[in-house]
Amino acid sequence: MNRLQIVHTTGYRYSEGAATSFNEVRMTPRTTREQFARFWRVEVSPQAWTHTYTDYWGTQVTAFEVDERHERLKVVATSTVEVDRQAHEGKRVTWEDLRAPQFTEDMVESLVFGGHTDPGPELTSIAKRVAKEAETPAEVVAPVIAAVREHVRYVKGVTRVQTRAFEAWEAGAGVCQDMVHLTVGALRSVGIPAQYVSGYVMPSRDPVVGEAVVGESHSWVQWWDGAWLAYDPANDVVPGNYHVEVGVGRDYSDVPPLKGVYAGGGESDMYVQVEMTQLA
Amino acid sequence: MTGLFDDYAGPPDAFDEMIGPDGIRGAYAAVRSYMDRLAPDEIRARADYLKSSYLYQGVTFDIGGEERPFPLDIVPRVIEAAEWSVVEQGVAQRVQALEKFLGDVYGPGEVFRDGVVPRRVVVSSPHFHRIMHGIQPPNGVRVHVSGIDLVRDGEGRFRVLEDNVRIPSGVSYVMTNRRAMFSALPEVTSRHRIRAVESYPQRLLAALQACAPKGISDPNVVVLTPGVYNSAYFEHTLLARMMGVELVEGRDLVCRAGEVLVRTTRGLRPVHVIYKRVDDEFVDPAHFRADSMLGCAGLMNAYRAGNVTIANAVGNGVADDKLIYTYVPDLIRYYLGAEPILPAVDTWRLEDPVHRELVLDRLSELVLKPVDGSGGKGIVIGPAADEKTLARLRRTILKNPRGWIAQPVVQLSTVPTMIDGTMAPRHVDLRPFAVNDGSNVFVLPGGLTRVALPEGELIVNSSQGGGSKDTWVLARDGIRGRKAKKQPRVSVRGVPVEGVEITQASPVEHQQQQQQQQQQQQRVGPPVAGRAATCGRGAPC
Repeated sequence: MNRLQIVHTTGYRYSEGAATSFNEVRMTPRTTREQFARFWRVEVSPQAWTHTYTDYWGTQVTAFEVDERHERLKVVATSTVEVDRQAHEGKRVTWEDLRAPQFTEDMVESLVFGGHTDPGPELTSIAKRVAKEAETPAEVVAPVIAAVREHVRYVKGVTRVQTRAFEAWEAGAGVCQDMVHLTVGALRSVGIPAQYVSGYVMPSRDPVVGEAVVGESHSWVQWWDGAWLAYDPANDVVPGNYHVEVGVGRDYSDVPPLKGVYAGGGESDMYVQVEMTQLA
Repeated sequence: MTGLFDDYAGPPDAFDEMIGPDGIRGAYAAVRSYMDRLAPDEIRARADYLKSSYLYQGVTFDIGGEERPFPLDIVPRVIEAAEWSVVEQGVAQRVQALEKFLGDVYGPGEVFRDGVVPRRVVVSSPHFHRIMHGIQPPNGVRVHVSGIDLVRDGEGRFRVLEDNVRIPSGVSYVMTNRRAMFSALPEVTSRHRIRAVESYPQRLLAALQACAPKGISDPNVVVLTPGVYNSAYFEHTLLARMMGVELVEGRDLVCRAGEVLVRTTRGLRPVHVIYKRVDDEFVDPAHFRADSMLGCAGLMNAYRAGNVTIANAVGNGVADDKLIYTYVPDLIRYYLGAEPILPAVDTWRLEDPVHRELVLDRLSELVLKPVDGSGGKGIVIGPAADEKTLARLRRTILKNPRGWIAQPVVQLSTVPTMIDGTMAPRHVDLRPFAVNDGSNVFVLPGGLTRVALPEGELIVNSSQGGGSKDTWVLARDGIRGRKAKKQPRVSVRGVPVEGVEITQASPVEHQQQQQQQQQQQQRVGPPVAGRAATCGRGAPC
C-alpha cells in the first residue's frame, strides 16, 4: 500500500485579462477497489462559485465560475490517496467471447472506432495481422504496444490535445496521450474493448517519504480480458502503486483535467505543475 | 346553383377525407353544405383574400434566403370528436412513453439491461448528451412540448410518422390559421362547434411554471430564441407575447454563481424557467460548441445545480431519431404495459440481415430513410427513383446498413383544396401539439395540417410548395342545428371544455381575436422545419 499526496497546480494567464470564465476540473482521484481517495480539495482563485458532481463516466468533476475580471486563473487540486494495486492475471477470454452480441452491446462505448483514437491504416493493418495469428485476444496487446513504442518517440510539444492518433503515428512522435490513443484505437480495431485512463504518475520509483517530487498528469490504457487490465505504453510498465487513476473514458476528451471558456480578448497561456509526495 | 364540390372526387388510390365510397363523410357534410350555399366566385374571392392577407401580414417562410408565401387553404380539415379522441389518447400515450424512456436513458438505463433497446442505438446517437446523465428535472418532465406527426393511411387510420420532442415548431400557425378562417368563412365557422386552440399559450405557460425549480413560488419564465434570423422567430415572439413573458436571446442572459439572470432596464433579474428554442449544441458554449453566440456560458451548471429548468430538456434528441422510432411501440409496452393506441408505419431496420435481404429485393417499392437525416434529407422514394439512384442507394446501404430504415410507401389521405379556382384532392399530414405539465399531457385539439399543393405531390413539405389548412376538431355535437338553441355558457378562455362551444359569437373571444389580430401585424417566420412525409403508391413487402 502506498499513500500519496498530489498537488496539481494549473491555470491560465490572460494577456488582456478575462471578464468571466467557466471551467471544469477533473483532478480528483477516483475511489476503486485498488485506490481510495482519503482527502481531496479544489481551490480556485480568484474566488469562484464551485459545484461538484459525478459525470457519466464516473469521474468527479468540479465545475466553477469566476465572475470578476482577472488576469490569472489558478486552480490547486490537492488530494491524498491510498493505492494498493494487485498484479492482475487476464482471464484469457476467447475471440468468440469478444464477438458475442450481448458482449459487444454492453461494451459498445469501449469498442467505438474513430475520433481521437483513429489509429490510421498502417497501425490498423499491423493490429489485424497480429490478431490473425493470435490464439487469444490477450496476445495482441503486447505486440501492438511494442509497435506503438517503436514507431512513436516520446517528444513533448509535437502534438496537442486535439491531435488525433494517426497524426501522431504519421509524425512518428507524441506524448503519453497520443500513445494511449493509438493503442486504444488499434485494440478496438480488432474488437478488443479498450479505454483511456487519465491520472497521475510518480516518476521516481524510489522516493523519499515526505519529500515532494515533480510528478505528471499522465494517461495509460485499459483493455478487457475478462476484467480491465492496465498498461502504461509511455513508460512501458504495468501501472502499480505509483499510478493514480482520476477517470476513464473513450479518449482524452472524456476526461480532460481542465477545460472551459473565458470571455476576453488576447491570448491565454496555460501552466501546469504537479507535485507528488509519498506519505507512507 | 352549381357548387364547387359538384365534380369533386378523391383520387382512386387514397383515402379522401371528404368523399368515401358511400358519398360524403359525416365530418365534412356541414362544411360542404354551408360552402355550397355561397356562390363559387364568392368562395374564390375569399380564398384569394386568405392567400393575400397572409402575404400582406408576412406569413411567409424562408427557402434559401427567399421569402415565399405559406398559403392557407379555404377548405378546413375536419376531424370528428370520436376520431380525435383516439388521436388525443394516442399522442398522450406516446409522449408518456418517450418521457419514461428519456428518464431511463439519462438515469438507470434499465431499458438496456432488459434488452428492449440496444445500448448502441442510444450511445451512438449524436443527440445523446452525456452531460445530462444524472440531471433530474424538477417535476420529472423533459418533453414539455412535442409535435407528433401523423398521416392517415389508405384505410383512414391515423399512423405516427415521426416524433418531434426537441423544438417542434408550427403551433403559431394553428392559432393564426384559426383567426384567419373565422374572418374568411363566418357562414361556415359559425355553424360548427369547433374546439378552441387559443388556450395553447396559457397551457404552455402553466406547464412551464409547473416545472420551475423547487421552492420558487412565482417563477420567472423566458423564451430563449436564436434571434430574428431564425426561421421560427415569428412563433417565438407570438408565444412570448401571448404568455406575457420575456423573449430573450443568449446575450440577454448572464450566469452567476450557478444562477441565470436576465438583463433588464432595471438591472439583473433571476430566471427560473427557460423555454428553449435554441438547439442543444448552442445552449452553453462552456459545454457544447464553444463558438456559439446563441446561448449562455454557465447555463448547464445552473441547470445541474437545480436553479433553472430548461424546457424542452437538453438531450431529448435521442428519443425522436428515426432508429428509436422503430422501437417506440416496444417502449409503450415496456414502460406503460399497454398496446400502442396509434400504430406506427411498418419499418424495417437494415442492420438486421433478414430485414436487409427483404428490403434490398424490393428497393423500388419502398421508402428508404437515413437514420440521422432530418428535414427529409437523403430520403429515397423507391417507386419514384430511377435505376441509377437505386443502384447507388444499394451500395450506400451495404456500406452502412445501420444508418438506414425502410418503410412501405404510405398513401396519405387527401382533402379538397382550392387549386386555380376549383376543388382538387391534395395530400395532407397532421402535427398535433402536446404539452406536458407533469400531471397531465394536454393535446391541443387540432394541430397543424400541412398540404402538398402540386398535383400528385407525394411530399408534404413547406419547401416543396406546401400550404396549410385550419384543422377543426369538432366537439361531440359538432354541427349546430338550424333551430335557434339556447346559448350555452361561454367558457373561460384557456380551459377548453369538451362539448362547450367557443365561437366567434362570444364577445370575450371576439375582442381577444381583434387584439390578437392587431398584435399579428408582425413579420412572420416559416411554418415548420421542412420535412418530407412520404406518400404515393406502394406495397408492403
